[in-house]
Amino acid sequence: MKLSFYPGCSLEGMANDYCESIYAVFKTLGIDLVEIEDWSCCGATAAHSLSEIMSVILPARNLAAAEKMGLDIICPCSLCFNRLRFSQKMIKKKIFHIPWQVTGDIRVLDMTRFLAKPSIIQLIKQCILKPLDSLKVVCYYGCQMVRPPKITGYADYENPQTLDRISAAAGARVLDWSYKSTCCGASIGIGRREIVEFLSKRILQKSRQAGAEAIVVSCPLCQSNLDIVQKDRSDTPTPIFYVTELLRLSFKDKGNPKWFKMHVADPVPVLKAKGLL
Amino acid sequence: MEFYLKNPVGKVVVIGGGIGGIQCALDLADTGFYVYLVEKSHTLGGIMARLDKTFPTNDCSTCMFSPKMVHAAGHANIEILCLSRLLELNGRPGRFTARIEKQPRYINEKKCIACGKCAEKCPVKVPDAFNGDLGTRKAAFLTFPQAVPLKYAIDAKNCLYFTKGKCGICKKICPAEAIEYDQKPEILQIEAGAVILSTGFEPALTVMEGEYGYGRYKNVVTSFQYERMLSVTGPYGGHIRRPSDAKVPRNVAWIQCVMSRDLARNRPFCSSVCCMYAAKQAVLTRSNEPDTQATIYFIDIRAHGKGFDQYIDRARKRHGVRTKRSMVSVVYLNPENDNLIIETFDHRLDCKKEEEYGLVVLSTGFKPSNDFIDLAKQLGLVTNPYGFLSTEFDEPVSTSKPGVFVCGGIESPKDIPETVIQAGAAAAEASILINAARNSEIVCDKVPDEKPLDITPRVGVLICHCGTNIAGVVNIQNVLDYVKKLPQVTFATDFLFTCSTETQQTIIQLIKEHGLNRIVVAACSPKTHEPLFQDTLRKAGLNPYLFDLASIRDQCAWVHGNDPEKATKKSKALIRASVARALELEPLYDHSYRTVNHGLVIGGGVAGMTAALTIADQGFHVHLVEKTDRLGGFARNLKFTLEGNFPPKLIRYLIERITHHPKITVYLKSSLVSHNGPMGAFNGTVQNEDGPMPIQYGAVIVATGGRPYEPTEYLYGKNKRVLTQVEFSKRLVEDSSWASRLNRIVMIQCVGSREPDFPFCSRVCCAAAVKNSIELKEINPGAKIVVLYRDVRTFGFKELYYLKARQKGVLFFRYIPEEKPIVYDNNGKLIVDFTDRSLNQNFRVEPDLVVLSSGIRPNEGAKQIARLLKLPMVNEGFFLEAHVKLRPVEFATSGVFLAGLAHSPRFIEETVTMAKSAGQQAMKILCKKEMTISAAKAQVDPDKCSACLLCVRVCPYGAPFINEDGVSQIPPSACAGCGICVSECPSQAITLKHCTDGQILAKIDALLEPTDSSYPFPI
Amino acid sequence: MHTSTSDPETATEHDPCEQRELIGDRGDYFLNRIQGETGVNVSACYQCERCTNACPISQFMDIKPHQIIRYVQLGWRIRLLKSSTIWICLSCEMCTTYCPNEVDVAEIINHLRMMAASSSIAPKEKSLAVFHQTFLEELIKSGRVNEFRLMRAYYSKPDILHEKIKNGTFKQELQLAMTLFRKGRLKLSAPKSKAVKEIQKAYSQTRGEII
Repeated sequence: MKLSFYPGCSLEGMANDYCESIYAVFKTLGIDLVEIEDWSCCGATAAHSLSEIMSVILPARNLAAAEKMGLDIICPCSLCFNRLRFSQKMIKKKIFHIPWQVTGDIRVLDMTRFLAKPSIIQLIKQCILKPLDSLKVVCYYGCQMVRPPKITGYADYENPQTLDRISAAAGARVLDWSYKSTCCGASIGIGRREIVEFLSKRILQKSRQAGAEAIVVSCPLCQSNLDIVQKDRSDTPTPIFYVTELLRLSFKDKGNPKWFKMHVADPVPVLKAKGLL
Repeated sequence: MEFYLKNPVGKVVVIGGGIGGIQCALDLADTGFYVYLVEKSHTLGGIMARLDKTFPTNDCSTCMFSPKMVHAAGHANIEILCLSRLLELNGRPGRFTARIEKQPRYINEKKCIACGKCAEKCPVKVPDAFNGDLGTRKAAFLTFPQAVPLKYAIDAKNCLYFTKGKCGICKKICPAEAIEYDQKPEILQIEAGAVILSTGFEPALTVMEGEYGYGRYKNVVTSFQYERMLSVTGPYGGHIRRPSDAKVPRNVAWIQCVMSRDLARNRPFCSSVCCMYAAKQAVLTRSNEPDTQATIYFIDIRAHGKGFDQYIDRARKRHGVRTKRSMVSVVYLNPENDNLIIETFDHRLDCKKEEEYGLVVLSTGFKPSNDFIDLAKQLGLVTNPYGFLSTEFDEPVSTSKPGVFVCGGIESPKDIPETVIQAGAAAAEASILINAARNSEIVCDKVPDEKPLDITPRVGVLICHCGTNIAGVVNIQNVLDYVKKLPQVTFATDFLFTCSTETQQTIIQLIKEHGLNRIVVAACSPKTHEPLFQDTLRKAGLNPYLFDLASIRDQCAWVHGNDPEKATKKSKALIRASVARALELEPLYDHSYRTVNHGLVIGGGVAGMTAALTIADQGFHVHLVEKTDRLGGFARNLKFTLEGNFPPKLIRYLIERITHHPKITVYLKSSLVSHNGPMGAFNGTVQNEDGPMPIQYGAVIVATGGRPYEPTEYLYGKNKRVLTQVEFSKRLVEDSSWASRLNRIVMIQCVGSREPDFPFCSRVCCAAAVKNSIELKEINPGAKIVVLYRDVRTFGFKELYYLKARQKGVLFFRYIPEEKPIVYDNNGKLIVDFTDRSLNQNFRVEPDLVVLSSGIRPNEGAKQIARLLKLPMVNEGFFLEAHVKLRPVEFATSGVFLAGLAHSPRFIEETVTMAKSAGQQAMKILCKKEMTISAAKAQVDPDKCSACLLCVRVCPYGAPFINEDGVSQIPPSACAGCGICVSECPSQAITLKHCTDGQILAKIDALLEPTDSSYPFPI
Repeated sequence: MHTSTSDPETATEHDPCEQRELIGDRGDYFLNRIQGETGVNVSACYQCERCTNACPISQFMDIKPHQIIRYVQLGWRIRLLKSSTIWICLSCEMCTTYCPNEVDVAEIINHLRMMAASSSIAPKEKSLAVFHQTFLEELIKSGRVNEFRLMRAYYSKPDILHEKIKNGTFKQELQLAMTLFRKGRLKLSAPKSKAVKEIQKAYSQTRGEII
């Protein structure tokens, strides 16, 4: 199986550990990820905030490239996913002139949606060497992946299931909670840090209240916000795992992966206590 | 009217066995037609059977409804077809052939004795759909204890015999050998002259929607589930419990407008009744669990019915129900205690407030059932975009298919009285259609001849549990043991529901078996249930007057609810007294007299004219009395409706038909000045310029109408630029160039309504403001329209027009009554100042025009009619109907009916419906050859009478007169049986039959009898 | 019996708004423009406040989401463009998702933000406005955005560093950067996309609309 892969700027920078784990997981699953050649930034919040046309054109360039490849796009970053889908919708409306040859017909999937397909879940289950069955997790989807439903296609935006199903496949005990898609505030992280901290701390507190020992995410910005906000905490940290990290962990029977050290909230104490290291 | 066949079939198929279908069936069966009542489920009852209590009286729904179901079940001319659906309808109006499929019950209806053994022993438990899947039932089951017919059924989907081919326990143990696993679906071909659809609605919220965590969080329930939770026959026995842990929730929240007023979910209409039922549920919660908080989150409180605003007010002030005007977005779960968290923005603190609730109730709107959508397709009926069979304003029960009529919740979301009214109107339309076949298909109720009365009294006592209404307080076993020991009692037993259909059969058997000749029922109240039991006695061949009812529910279980011991003792005393009276009872025989088959309608407005035509079109003569010099009434003021209809056209049509109708006599500039006689044979006098004119009539319809309130507020009458909506609307139509010059206008709602001196909501003003706003926007899109409101009450599909008005740019701002808008004239400049609390800002508008939404008041003439006909009124001057839920067009006074604005403010289409319904109720009298009246009347002993005239003076009904022999005589037909003359007569010459001194004294003596030394009664 | 049915919750004792706002005195130009440009029917709102209840940060906003909609209806352009709300809105789409009248509140706020960016009105949240601008510039420059280069460019914008040092956020952000660096998350350089030229061309074509 072959898919085109749009990593996005974060996965090249702050979230390169995420990128690494994605490649590792897909390799194990035997699925080829072909990085979109010479991809460019989706425009993120900035283009969305300042120029409607740029918010359509920038993702369109990547859609055009993928269309040339003729492969469905897998998008690990929630914001990139949202922007690509948005652009697709606008391309179809034909309001703006797009300088590239693009129809908008190619399928853009957020990575979790792909991994949560029944066939892939089966595949994942076959690869598990170390089920994480003692680990209690909650899944945190953030906002951009699920909302607005008209763009993202998530009809269950209040109670999405993709991460839950993947984490459950890895053997983790997935707990239900109400804050799956409450915003962490990423888009104003530089200008109004205090709001982001307020939101992220609240999400952490709610996850602990639900009894979670770790949080599973798929968005690089959600990960970094929930992770960094724990830098000054003294009590047991709540590690924030990318869903692919969790899979990678369950695909190996032993060892202390070196990507742990990139986490601010150290996963080692929790995993040790659960006998998973 | 070509489709009116000369020889129609005198039978009607009514589809849907809820309150609408039952009422409709009764209204037809009582006027000479045979009815098939087709119900898809196992029992009659529909939504109303699932309700615990009803607003605004907090009466028990089952207690009101059960007698009606029993009446329908026992009616000789109603055939109930349960588990049935209409497959096909062929033929023409007047002569249809309906193909009906009847699913098997797997228990023979004729054999089942409802002993419940099958359900008791059935090993399969399934979620109980009747209780909203809270709690379980067996695969062999009875839907609810008062089900009609009271027959068990097997649910083949879950039964082990059907699914796995084994078990068969029920068949082995059934004492009646009623289990029939091999029953097959049947197809019935039925001939009928008309079809009436009353398929009702169901909750629109399903787990699929994912709204507010319904289906995800255990303690989020729908209002329907909560209704079952409140009900004594519900899953928790009437105790409020959380589904997650069976604990009493300490605070409950209601969220309004779930699946209503929601364009995003393609449900942009209002479901009309949710505000009121939520308030009722909150009140019941507060009274059942005084330590539990109740909070309602809402957008607008829609209390647009008679007395509803006062109900909301009582909920807030007397019961402490909290109301929060804020639409909840998401319900969150607190995983530690399964509580639910609601976040709302607090404007005063400028921050989010998290509030925790033990239980959240979602006030879901309604949708037609999926079955109905299929049926509508099959019949080729035109529905509105939301699947409802909405109707035209001048034909409020007609569908797109001639001969097929509609009523109730499937027409539009509506409450019980609206449904009852519409059911009557549908019955009227069907009756008119097949009038030629009246009495052609009916079966006469065969009452066995009365057996000669045995001289020795043999008293039977039947004690009712009334579910837990009585048994929850009174120790029934203890009472029963005591009663059995009373020396005069031959036989005594107890029943879960003595009023159920099945119990009536048992009672007849018991009477025969034990040779009982006096029956005492210890139950709810004689007011509601005495006629039912008397009918049972009649069927058992016993004189119906050999009956007494000890009101141990109202007078023991209810008033001494917190003291079971006293309640039990008082029950014993009341039963003892009833038994004592029973010994003194004597058989009495009702009086009969010929009916005058003419109707009288008072009021020549839309209501009066429609009611008159409803009767006249069924071939009976009508006197129509109008006090002004022309017909038309209030509706003459109206130019167009919200939905784009034209009242003037309707009025012209009605006048045209009335004037040329051979069966209608119109009396203009006339009034009724005298009225007497009994129901069915009234005598009256119409007075006009030509002098008094005597008339005779069998029934009266009061349609005295209403008038617009003339404001004294907001410079009305002082400044020419302050108009009422009615005046504005007229001018809009007459002078569009004037309208196109208007730049800014302000509309003020609730002028003269919802005020301390007139607390009613006038119901129509919000729609009027929306209507006129849209009209002005269409003439002049640039006009700025500011509507100042308290709650926008565009209920039902009128909500679509509120949406349209907003979409056109009409600005709606809310004001609170403490901060009314101020209108003043500043040197010729009109100024409106007001405060908006969701922005917390003071505003000023300098409008060209201020339009006041002034409400509707009753006509002054109503008072004279009330005095003449001795009819009750509410404080606001509208008439008070016999029962707000189930008898909305009747008066407590027999033979007098009510329609239109005289009842309360309403829309034209509602008035038309109500008038048809009132006409049909009157038909129940007019189509009878003779009237039978109760024998419980006052009788004068001529030997004792001294002709002192005291009785003549005190009688409120003017019944007694001094006859040729010089003594007082009381015609039974005029006597109301109130007993005033009896107590006043100084010579003790008057006896009230069935309430004689001997009977009363026996009762008093028994009450005072010191049988129970430890606790003498009374205290 | 007292029969008024007001809601005690919404009535406040004090009068927060001494002055009166004149309404209906201006035309619908602004409203029509917003509705035309976004395709959103702002007028459909019935002020149920579901958006404000859904918004995770309404307490930080100077104009609440439901008020934004009302202000648009009233044509209060300056107040809206001067507000903090249009900049701090997270675009999390809660308001839009839950609106029963299909008013795309987030889109309206986003649109107002774009209008503000291209207007002469000084943004209430300068650091956010400049950040977005810098982000876009970096993107145009390299086709992709590298966090380190982005922050460097951002701090060299007029007044930003000065202001951040003054209000203490600089120290916070520096610490944050250090933590990331230590964790190996801050890449000092990154490959550029070859697309730069194409993107720059497209950008310059749309420029009139941006700045």
